[in-house]
Amino acid sequence: MADLGAMALLLGLVVSCYAAAASVLGEKMRIAELIVSARRSIYMTALCAAVASGTLIFAFAENDFSIEYVANHSNTLMDRAFVWVAFYAGNEGSLLYILLILTVISSISIWVAPTRLERSMPWTIAILAVIQLFYFAVLTLSASPFELMENVPEDGRGINPLLTHPGMFSHPPLLMGGLIAITVPFAFVSGALIAGNFGDDWVDVARVSAIIAWGVLGIGMLLGAWWAYTILGWGGYWAWDPIENVALMPWLVMTAFIHSIMVQKRRGMFRMWNVALLNIAFVLAQLGMFINRGGPVVSVHSFAASTLGMIFLSFMLASLVFAFALFLWRMPALKSDRNMESFMSREASFLVNNFLFLSVMAITLWGVLFPLFSDFARDVSVTVSAPYFDRANGPVLLGIVMMMGVGPLLPWRKASARSLKQWFIWPTAALLLIITFLVIAGIQRPVAIFAFGVVGFVAASILEEWWRGSYARHRNGDNWALAWWRLVNGNRPRHGGYIVHISILMIGLGIIGTNFYQQRTDGAISLGESLVIDNYRIQYIDRGDDSRPDRVAQWAEISIYKIEPSDYAYEFDLALSQGSNGFTLEDSTRRKNDKLIDTIKPWHGFYLDFNMASVRSGIRSTFIEDLYVIPRDFLNDGRVSLAVSINPLAWWLWASGPLFIIGTMIALWPQPAVETRPAKKNTKQSPAES
Amino acid sequence: MTIALGMVLAIVTITVIVYPFFGKKRYRLVSDSFIRKEKLRAERLQIYRKINDVRSDFISGDLTEKDYLSQRNQLRLAAAQILEQETSFTLTDSQIKDELEKEISMLRQRTNQPPEGGDLS
Repeated sequence: MADLGAMALLLGLVVSCYAAAASVLGEKMRIAELIVSARRSIYMTALCAAVASGTLIFAFAENDFSIEYVANHSNTLMDRAFVWVAFYAGNEGSLLYILLILTVISSISIWVAPTRLERSMPWTIAILAVIQLFYFAVLTLSASPFELMENVPEDGRGINPLLTHPGMFSHPPLLMGGLIAITVPFAFVSGALIAGNFGDDWVDVARVSAIIAWGVLGIGMLLGAWWAYTILGWGGYWAWDPIENVALMPWLVMTAFIHSIMVQKRRGMFRMWNVALLNIAFVLAQLGMFINRGGPVVSVHSFAASTLGMIFLSFMLASLVFAFALFLWRMPALKSDRNMESFMSREASFLVNNFLFLSVMAITLWGVLFPLFSDFARDVSVTVSAPYFDRANGPVLLGIVMMMGVGPLLPWRKASARSLKQWFIWPTAALLLIITFLVIAGIQRPVAIFAFGVVGFVAASILEEWWRGSYARHRNGDNWALAWWRLVNGNRPRHGGYIVHISILMIGLGIIGTNFYQQRTDGAISLGESLVIDNYRIQYIDRGDDSRPDRVAQWAEISIYKIEPSDYAYEFDLALSQGSNGFTLEDSTRRKNDKLIDTIKPWHGFYLDFNMASVRSGIRSTFIEDLYVIPRDFLNDGRVSLAVSINPLAWWLWASGPLFIIGTMIALWPQPAVETRPAKKNTKQSPAES
Repeated sequence: MTIALGMVLAIVTITVIVYPFFGKKRYRLVSDSFIRKEKLRAERLQIYRKINDVRSDFISGDLTEKDYLSQRNQLRLAAAQILEQETSFTLTDSQIKDELEKEISMLRQRTNQPPEGGDLS
């Protein structure tokens, strides 16, 4: 079976090499058959990658331990449902998965590309083919997933236990898919530049493919955060780990791109800037591949550790040189013939938002690379951890959220003082009201209060936009729901974007809540005893073993009670005086008013083959707060050591996902290009003229 | 078995790739005039979308009626100009002749045919 996979990869290597050469030669010599043949070659590379991937998946399904990769990442005990996860659980398999996605999306994008890009298509094909060639070469020559074992074991090592989680079915594939998908807009734009197509023909293709890559990458990161929250057992969801950062950075740049491309689409401006953004995003995606594949930066994501660092570093540097050499060569022809009319305009707000996104990217990049520079220059190993990123990025991210509210309120071209006053009054009132309410309610932490105010400002600005648009249509006879839908349908990119903005606000709420108001306590308690924190009492009810051939595991049954904190005023005061948020309580001293609300069963396991501990936290989630219980250890004296935290508003982080997808889909949905008759409008009621 | 499957894959791949050279269908590069037409069409549709956007902005109150009418008229004018170019976009006889000559000479170069009497079919 391994032979088929290896043959498919070798064939793919030859075909992608041919595709690159045939495409360039076909264009230079103006031979149509050669160009068509190159195009077909791209489709065939997808077939080769699919056959290789199918072979590997089949080998997993059949427990073919003669293949080293299969033996290292699965065993007979592995739930067959995880065959898909095992496919990309290691370095070689994940590279094959990336290649599969690259070849498939390359084929689709070439298939659906509009005819007006026909002149630049040979160059686009050549760029895609060269990138495919790189991955085929790595997989064939340096990291083949079809290496055979000299001595075939009876059973495999098993899958990394951290990957046996539902989130793993989608998080890594989406993350890797999103990163590699950035190749498509990059190839189309670069192809157009080489061919001398300096107009805006590529805008739609670049925008759609960029939004797809951006959306996939965003959902991949969100799922990764959810996975970390539920399985890694540290109570958080984002650690500014280098691997997280190298996915975040291109996403930030792509976010800037999908905003500024709207300016190019609408006003014919920012052409040069957009090309630069795509180049940066593509190079950062390659940096991600480098860091992930044996890069020198330490990361907890060790499942993809490899020795391919130098190969990927070389490819990243080559990408950097190619992208920016091409950019510099074509820069004079990319200048826009329009200038910004006013800094109080939507295009100016997009520019500010772009700079903020790039600032976060630069701060994060510095944090990722600083340990390398330090090691190289001073021979001192340092680790840049979360506090640096939080402190440096926090204010800029807040600025970005603020711009999410400011941008939509500004018109294109320029705003008058009157319209500014008119459109900003309600969002500003919302900001002030929220801040006042929180201060009166006794909520502490000024920065968090202001951040809540900013979230309210943005939400109010979106609602105001929707209200205005819906109201105008409602006056023309539509019911409210239809009026809103027609508003959204009338400009899908814009209103889909607003829906995505709301999902970002939900993430913002989660981040503010969990970062500023999290409470923690821990303690070892015996059966019957309780840990009390805030308005919860958690009681240790039962314990048991759930050992399996690949792991030893113990679970704890824990009852969760809602309490009246005033019933425990004395104990809370005592705990606070000792610098703790919570305290332990014997069964006999608990109060009668406590109300049982839930039971959870977290467990703690140890995987002998991997020498690795794994936990499943017990989480009681509501939209106000999560009660998060981590069983750290089961002690020999019968006690269980628990770490308990209350994570306010964490639910909103995960609830944002579906809205993010819906908004992205709406923004992507093709817009009908038919001029419609303007609706009769009651000009007396026009908010713009009042 | 796996070797046979590999051979089938290789044969299918090579057949698909070389088919354009040996198949009955003759391929031609898309002409500049066709691409130009496509570009004009895309540009026109883009302007229609902009008109829709402007209209949507006006209904929502983002634009005053004066700005709306001014922008809409500009866009309509641009669309009309493009439409005019599209509809009048026909090659003159001499241009058609030049295009044909170009195609024929390229074909001759590739097939090593003499300057006169080559069969294009």
